[in-house]
Amino acid sequence: MTISETRSISRQMTSQPDYLDLRRQDLNSTYRPQREWIEGRGILIVIAHFFAGIGAGAWIFSILFDYRVGEIMAVVSIGLSGLAHLAFLGRWQRFLRILARPNSSWVSRGMWGTLLYGIGALVYFLPGVRDTLMGSISLGISLFGVTLVLLCSGYVYSVSKAIPFWHTVLVPILYIAYGLRGGVALLLVAAVFGGSSLDIDTMETIKLWVLASTIVLILFYLIIANRSGGAASYSVHELVAGRISVAFYGGTIGIGILVPLALAIGREFGLAGMLTLGIIGFASLIGDFYVKYCVVKAGTYVPLGDAVGPVSPKIV
Amino acid sequence: MRLGMVIDLKRCIGCYGCQIACKAENGTRPGTTYARVLKREFGTYPNVKKQSLPLLCMHCGDAPCIEVCPTGASQKRSDGIVFIDADMCVGCRACMMACPYAARYFQDEERNYFGVGMAPTAYEVSRYQDHQSGVVEKCDFCRHRLDQDKEPACVANCMCKARIFGNLDDPESEVSRLIKEESGFQLNAEWGTDPSVYYLPAER
Ligand code: SF4
Ligand code: SF4
Ligand code: SF4
Repeated sequence: MTISETRSISRQMTSQPDYLDLRRQDLNSTYRPQREWIEGRGILIVIAHFFAGIGAGAWIFSILFDYRVGEIMAVVSIGLSGLAHLAFLGRWQRFLRILARPNSSWVSRGMWGTLLYGIGALVYFLPGVRDTLMGSISLGISLFGVTLVLLCSGYVYSVSKAIPFWHTVLVPILYIAYGLRGGVALLLVAAVFGGSSLDIDTMETIKLWVLASTIVLILFYLIIANRSGGAASYSVHELVAGRISVAFYGGTIGIGILVPLALAIGREFGLAGMLTLGIIGFASLIGDFYVKYCVVKAGTYVPLGDAVGPVSPKIV
Repeated sequence: MRLGMVIDLKRCIGCYGCQIACKAENGTRPGTTYARVLKREFGTYPNVKKQSLPLLCMHCGDAPCIEVCPTGASQKRSDGIVFIDADMCVGCRACMMACPYAARYFQDEERNYFGVGMAPTAYEVSRYQDHQSGVVEKCDFCRHRLDQDKEPACVANCMCKARIFGNLDDPESEVSRLIKEESGFQLNAEWGTDPSVYYLPAER
């Protein structure tokens, strides 16, 4: 019997062999990728943070520009984020268990942010409340909630000491910038499909500034991570030339940065119309999703066991 | 009291006895190995070397897994043992992202060792009922054995006596003596986690 025949029989004998093979392979590899927050149900975490970011950003700008359609879309986004979190945890009681210890971790602070935002926004929406003292209080609560959400979704990653690519304050900054950028993008899409009382020109200017700052931020983040060496620079390598490069170049850079940039420049030269704006917004939203997807997927643990001998290319 | 372990890399022959003893003791599911052995080969022929590295939860003095746990499921006892209360765990896996020693295992669903679609064996049925799905698990220095004045299973079953268990706070204990006399070191101490597991160098 050949080795591959033996392997195939052992695969048939073991339930879900791919999962177990991967786990075995990871535990023996020098650079172990994190899989729990990206593969299988783990993708729900990325989806949850994507909706949380754009929902928070959209709420801030909708309030700023007094844009009702945007407010509704922001609340729907945060609702979707909550649902994705719930689906990841599996049982709603687990959500309550996290809420029961508000200051224990960034995970619980983020959950509280979502809850406060949800409650504040819903009260603010009640008929006759908006222009009253109650309206101001609920608005204050909702804004406090979105601030927490924006802060926490990045900090949840950056506290992970074991994953050097995440363990930097640049991750929360990136998540805040992308949350704001996604918020503006959502409002641009809302303006196209939901009718507009929105000051489009101002929104576009904001969008361009945020777009430019996210480009600088991503570059800065990648350069710093690459310079740190070890697992962090391995993560950068995975992004720019490894298993995540298609998502990085296609989603984050191509659709997320180049398409909005090209269309925005095109608008300066007469490529007008709400549809162009809508496409800019939509492409930016896809880019926002992919930047989070890529950052999370590139997470790689510090290599274990260098202390007992040099890292060897061959690990048996 | 601070319970800890010393692993003598000179003595370890990489037999996986500790890994199997742990699985038998704790009845863990496929893919979960609280105690495991990494092997490394390095050098170029004819100067090659093979080194075994037994691993387990380091029961860190400054445990990053506890810091990030949103429910308090990850806890530390007064004797330094870091453990997970499965009834409090919500399976968020933040602790897995924080642990640099790959000591935590998410129990996503019940699996068995013998075949897709086949019923688990009677042994598996009886052992897996002690484990919940949707939570994270890890080594707890065999708390249940310590309560009966027994050593952790990996220590008791190491035929080379490469694993020694004891009180790190007692300067007279064997673990403290070995760490002092044989230059014991913590694995990647620079991470600032202050592990309770020490290693003795592979070469004198
Ligand atoms: S049982 Fe002992 S000798 Fe065998 S691998 Fe484990 S620590 Fe090493
Ligand atoms: S080894 Fe990992 S699981 Fe164990 S105490 Fe340290 S950080 Fe926590
Ligand atoms: S998975 Fe369980 S033990 Fe780990 S951080 Fe979440 S609640 Fe705590």
